[in-house]
Amino acid sequence: MSEAAQYFQFVLAPQMLIGLVLGVAVILVALGLTIIFGLLDVINMSHGEFYALGAFVALALSTIGLPFWLLLLLVPLIMLPVGYIVERGLIQRVFHSGDRHVRTLLLTFGLGLVMEDAFRLVFGPNPHRPETPIAGGVEALGIFLPSYRLFLIIVGTAIIAAVAFVVYRTRLGAMVRAAAFDRDMAASLGVPVQHVYAGAFAFGVALAGLAGVLLAPIYSVFPTMGRDFILMAFTVVIVGGMGSITGVVVAGLLLTQIQAIVSLYISPVWSDPIVFGIMVVMLMVRPQGLFGRLGHG
Amino acid sequence: MTTTRTTLLAALLSATAMTSAAYAADPIKIGVVTPLSGTYAGIGQQVKWGLELATKEVNAKGGIMGRPIELIYEDEEANPAVAVQKAEKLFEVSKVDFLTGTVNSGSTLAVGQVAERAKKLIATTVSFADSITGDKCSPNVFRVNAKAGQQSTALAAWLAKEKPKAKVFFLGPDYLMGRSTVAAFKEAAEKVGSVSLGEVFAPLGSKDYSQYFGQIRAAQPQVLYTSVAGNDTVRLFAQMEEFGLLKNLTLLGASGTVTSQNIGAIGKAANGFTTGVGYSTEINNPANKAFVAAFKAATKADPDLYGTDSYGLIYAYKAAVEKAKSTDTDKVRDAFRGLTWSTPQGDKTIRAGDHQAMQTMYVVQVTDGNFKITSSVSGPDAIGPDTCTRF
Repeated sequence: MSEAAQYFQFVLAPQMLIGLVLGVAVILVALGLTIIFGLLDVINMSHGEFYALGAFVALALSTIGLPFWLLLLLVPLIMLPVGYIVERGLIQRVFHSGDRHVRTLLLTFGLGLVMEDAFRLVFGPNPHRPETPIAGGVEALGIFLPSYRLFLIIVGTAIIAAVAFVVYRTRLGAMVRAAAFDRDMAASLGVPVQHVYAGAFAFGVALAGLAGVLLAPIYSVFPTMGRDFILMAFTVVIVGGMGSITGVVVAGLLLTQIQAIVSLYISPVWSDPIVFGIMVVMLMVRPQGLFGRLGHG
Repeated sequence: MTTTRTTLLAALLSATAMTSAAYAADPIKIGVVTPLSGTYAGIGQQVKWGLELATKEVNAKGGIMGRPIELIYEDEEANPAVAVQKAEKLFEVSKVDFLTGTVNSGSTLAVGQVAERAKKLIATTVSFADSITGDKCSPNVFRVNAKAGQQSTALAAWLAKEKPKAKVFFLGPDYLMGRSTVAAFKEAAEKVGSVSLGEVFAPLGSKDYSQYFGQIRAAQPQVLYTSVAGNDTVRLFAQMEEFGLLKNLTLLGASGTVTSQNIGAIGKAANGFTTGVGYSTEINNPANKAFVAAFKAATKADPDLYGTDSYGLIYAYKAAVEKAKSTDTDKVRDAFRGLTWSTPQGDKTIRAGDHQAMQTMYVVQVTDGNFKITSSVSGPDAIGPDTCTRF
């Protein structure tokens, strides 16, 4: 075998595969963020804490003996009403003011801080970790991948496809896109805009919670875990085009692959600055991102 | 009215008691500049508990040469600038004979300079930095706890015995402490015949260590040394287990890598993790058992490394003053040099050349979620060469 092929098989390919797992994880977190931004025009600074909330709810429920597979269904269902109440009870109160961006940003930022401290009070400052639900690994062509990470790629892809299907191919999705494009026109055509808003927020929050459950066995659970993915998720949303689902998927895969490959050649400390550098350049030359906003063809 | 009178009477009585005590024997004053608030307050608490327990025991048996010990505390907030002010105050205003308590290595070095100007002696019971008794040594500074180098030497000696010529890979967090701990252990391990295969430094707080696993797998190490800490350890060990990297691999690390705070979350992946430390409550000798029992009775907490080393210091100072028959700085310094005294960790000896205490170092291993002592390395083997050139 040639040296280049060997290099690809033993160095580059495993690295890209690991980058793919991280990419799916980032997309799962960013998906909810982009839906909330695209539809409500709200920058949800507490999104990371909802990701953490999902993980902590799963942690609490697993102590009473519920199996992981049930939690995977149960936690998003618990997160839905939580998100709905937060939207109706908190965000709607400042949503209609003139400086909506600043107020909702501050509100969700504050909410995130409160939630982070609440986690610390309830669960203590020390990390927790659920056992990996699928042990062992798969080896193909000399590349080793733990079974749970393979599961994560498959399930993550399915979730992303399902979300895209709902948003682009169903009547519900059409209402969401209509409300995002022109709120008043949608309302006058009989779309229950209030409920669509709260529902979309709840949906985004539930996705974050689901990501929390899925990623906990790999990344562990602790009060400040919400900060882990949030910067990367925001970068993905900005580069992909705020509100665009396709954009999140493309940018998520692109940026994590860049990180994975770059860290082979230069100190891994630089992988974050490079990604944020790309974001800054993107904001300068193409502020709308790679793809357009939700509902804006 | 009655209360006022009682208080007055009590005050008068206690004042008389104090004067009479002073007539009987002037107390020996020991200043304690230690963090009583802030991030390091937990360490300061252990220092205080250790010093107080030993002081109580010594005073109950007649003090030092008939004179009781008096501890005077100042909060240094783990800030060298504050520590300097507080140390000056203790030397100039309170006229303390001796000073201890500094935690932060920077505080110890700074207070050492104050001591040189005041012509007094200090000792640290906590600071790890090798330089305190190395290239930045001072004739007025002693260290009774083990330095970082002693920890890595002990671990390297254990490694040489268990796995001669081991092939070692190093993974550290990418900042000063992380890089210096890796460098120290690498040097110690290579000296005893280990082969270094490679090293990688991951950003502090990394999410995913799996991107380095290809490199580790390709190097085929028998041993991995790491100095990550806190939640980074949880992720590293869990992800290594996930990728099947823990099979046939010995995990070694810094003393702060696996602690009571994160051992629960690491779970069975922590099994077999080995590190070198200067103290463990499990040390099996009568002196330690009695000490642990007395410490628990007084504080309702287990003693840790810092509490134990602070406890031992009072006995070191007592031995030195009794040998010198004086609290005079020059005489006590001479008495300290080469002094051997007993502590819960066994006998310790102050090396005359650099003022570093020699002590038995312990290698502890995680077994089913608990730290067990697997072996020990004698003081002379662990201390390393004397690099102090100032005296």
